Amino acid sequence: MRAEAIDGVLFADMIRAGAANLDANRKIVNDLNVFPIPDGDTGDNMYMTIESGAEELAGRENASLGDVASSASKWMLLGARGNSGVILSRIFAGISRGLSGVDEADPAVLSRAFAMGVDEAYGAVSVPVEGTILTVYKDAVRYAAERLGPDSTIRSYFDDFTAELRRSLERTPELLAVLKESGVVDSGGAGLLYIADGMRMALDGQAVRTADRPEETGKKRVDLSLFTEDSELTFGYCTEFLLRLQRAKGDPDAFDLEALIRWLNSVGDSVVAFREGTVVKVHVHTRVPGDVMNHCQQFGEFLTLKIENMTLQHSESTVQNRLELRPAAPRKPYGIVAVAAGEGIRETFRSLGCDEVVDGGQSMNPSAEDFVRAFARINADTILVFPNNGNVILTARQAAGLYDKADVRIVPSRTVGEGYAAVSQLDTSSGDTDAILAELDEVVAGVVTGFVSRASRDADRDGVSVRAGDFIGFAEDTIYTDASERNAAALALAGALDAGKYDVMLVVRGAGASAEEAEALCGALGAAFRRTEVIPVDGGQPIHDYILILE
Amino acid sequence: MLVLFTDTDTDITPSEAREFGYRLISMPYSVDGKTTYPYVDFDVFDAHAFYDMLRAGALPNTSAISVEQYRNYFEPVFAEGNDILYVHFSRAMTATFDAMDRAVAELKTRYPDRAFYEIDTKGITIGSLNIVKEIGDQYRAGRTAEEMLAWARDEVDRFAVYFFADDLRFFKHSGRVSGLAGTMGTLLGIRPIIHMNSEGKMVSVGKEKGRAKAMERLVAYVEELGDHVADHRVIVGHSDSREIAEEVIALLRRRFGEGLRIELVDVNPTAGSHCGPNGVGISFHAVHR
Repeated sequence: MRAEAIDGVLFADMIRAGAANLDANRKIVNDLNVFPIPDGDTGDNMYMTIESGAEELAGRENASLGDVASSASKWMLLGARGNSGVILSRIFAGISRGLSGVDEADPAVLSRAFAMGVDEAYGAVSVPVEGTILTVYKDAVRYAAERLGPDSTIRSYFDDFTAELRRSLERTPELLAVLKESGVVDSGGAGLLYIADGMRMALDGQAVRTADRPEETGKKRVDLSLFTEDSELTFGYCTEFLLRLQRAKGDPDAFDLEALIRWLNSVGDSVVAFREGTVVKVHVHTRVPGDVMNHCQQFGEFLTLKIENMTLQHSESTVQNRLELRPAAPRKPYGIVAVAAGEGIRETFRSLGCDEVVDGGQSMNPSAEDFVRAFARINADTILVFPNNGNVILTARQAAGLYDKADVRIVPSRTVGEGYAAVSQLDTSSGDTDAILAELDEVVAGVVTGFVSRASRDADRDGVSVRAGDFIGFAEDTIYTDASERNAAALALAGALDAGKYDVMLVVRGAGASAEEAEALCGALGAAFRRTEVIPVDGGQPIHDYILILE
Repeated sequence: MLVLFTDTDTDITPSEAREFGYRLISMPYSVDGKTTYPYVDFDVFDAHAFYDMLRAGALPNTSAISVEQYRNYFEPVFAEGNDILYVHFSRAMTATFDAMDRAVAELKTRYPDRAFYEIDTKGITIGSLNIVKEIGDQYRAGRTAEEMLAWARDEVDRFAVYFFADDLRFFKHSGRVSGLAGTMGTLLGIRPIIHMNSEGKMVSVGKEKGRAKAMERLVAYVEELGDHVADHRVIVGHSDSREIAEEVIALLRRRFGEGLRIELVDVNPTAGSHCGPNGVGISFHAVHR
């Protein structure tokens, strides 16, 4: 039976095994990076996406296949990070639709469900690009479907599926020139292959080797000294749990989620609560986690529990946490959410008037759920979102689709430069959202953002010979310069971008550059481009030693 | 005889004041608890040193002068049997004129035959200066108080002022500009454009990215609203950003020719305490503010 049909228990095992196998190989996926700088995080993004589905499957041993697929996909949609993560979550959303109401599936049913994943994934992106995870998945689904026969088993289906996945992955450089130039295969496709391999191993009952990782990506380092004998509880506790509704405590069908949300808002804020079958997921910031536990235990028992003193949570975001514990803000017409990495840049966006600054950026992309939480904290009719990164736009769109308490609009800003320009020119006084967005599109189009980063490997690209350890200056997908010093790279980049024709040049100093270096750079830029106003910003961002914003 | 008064918030210097026949009331500012009275505590305003101190982080306060100080300015004039016309900065921006009103009310009981007139320029710095100088011209030409008041009733609203700021810290600290875009706390190249409205209050009317666009916007206001611009002074004021102010003047000359009567002035330290360094503004005769 384990080979002829697939049921909820097996599918849950497979998803967990897929997640574990990707986890074990995610560094390899991260390193499949088109750009020769250490910012690859496709493996992390995809892992965190599938893991958010996998971890919610705990305690669902008796669920039907349809329920498991639906539950996993729902949490993956929320947990999705980065473009590959969003596409992965949509693949599973399509599969889940195909398996809706199904207790167990034979290869033909599974194949049809996988095909629905293709449609759903392609539907997630406005302009699908071939040679990516989309192509790899589509090819594998098509090939495995063609090979289906009367003797097919789930095992044979997965053998075909993963074999073609691998072949298609190897073809990606032929479809996407940028991969070929960089000598890599598509990272999202590779992540998918590791997941599928893990799922196939679970079919065999093989345990998946988990990765040895001393440092958990995305886990916050906790400094216990931040809360002393004399500290006051300023920020409360971030309280998250999964609650299984128990029949012994009341009819799960009669459970009133809205009433629970109202109650949670009376003892805390930043409430996010979803229900999936008889499992309720709750997130709340509260000073009285015990009250929350006791209240919720009336309805069921806890599957998982996490309570963190928010004073100890990464202390750098204390400003944000403080805001969160304020009483609910009065409803306002517009709210603004921006994504930024680096305390200086986050503070800049806050001071430009952003209500919420979601942590993330070039590496460590935020999840759809991070956005949903930010939306929930803002009490606004319309929420404008500035993703400020090409790999975050899709996640923001997904989050907008998951949130129904505001009209959420995404301003497709692909860089912090575009985000800065748009947010700083934002004027919502007209109240005409479409007109505001049209104006911002224009502002965004007039901005050029250049980056200086240290190269992680040798590369030959755009006629520039890059040596590992050097500093490269690039904008969009083009490398303009390579220099052994970061200031020299920044100056050459500014020249290549024709900085002199712009009115304003922001020089955003990253964590890698010293204040003295940045000051010297600003002086040199000011002398080289006299007409352009050079404005230094202490950004503190990782990866990019400098960001030059030209407008 | 009529004696003219004005105050240091109008950017007039002591020598100019003497030229027009104005007596000067010094409006103080304080930094770190030390109060300075312009042209009392110093003879020449060192604008560069003052604005550099602001650039280095100083956040000055301004304060209202007392009933007694007003009495000390006005009483000798009344005692000599003269009347007073005080052309002052905007009432809407300060509480100092409450003290003046009390001083004047009190003096009137003792000098019932003396007259006290006032013209509210509904401005500060260059916006006031243009009106102060127009009144000074008329005074020297022998106009009566009634004639000058009648002129002011129509004309005060026809001296427009637009300026851009470079640092919001000072506006936020002083709280004297309304409508500054949202909760914007940083500028990073954005220049809020501020206008002195017909109530005599500073109102933000938009923003421009970069100095070049901000300068063009100022000149565009002169083109849009200007009325007999060449028949009046065009005053360009700056808070220690002479180069930019001179660029604005060059732009004005290109658009309106060499015939303009342009004056370049330093924004006085008390007004500068509200607007901070690196600002540039323009005052001109207009169809309306």
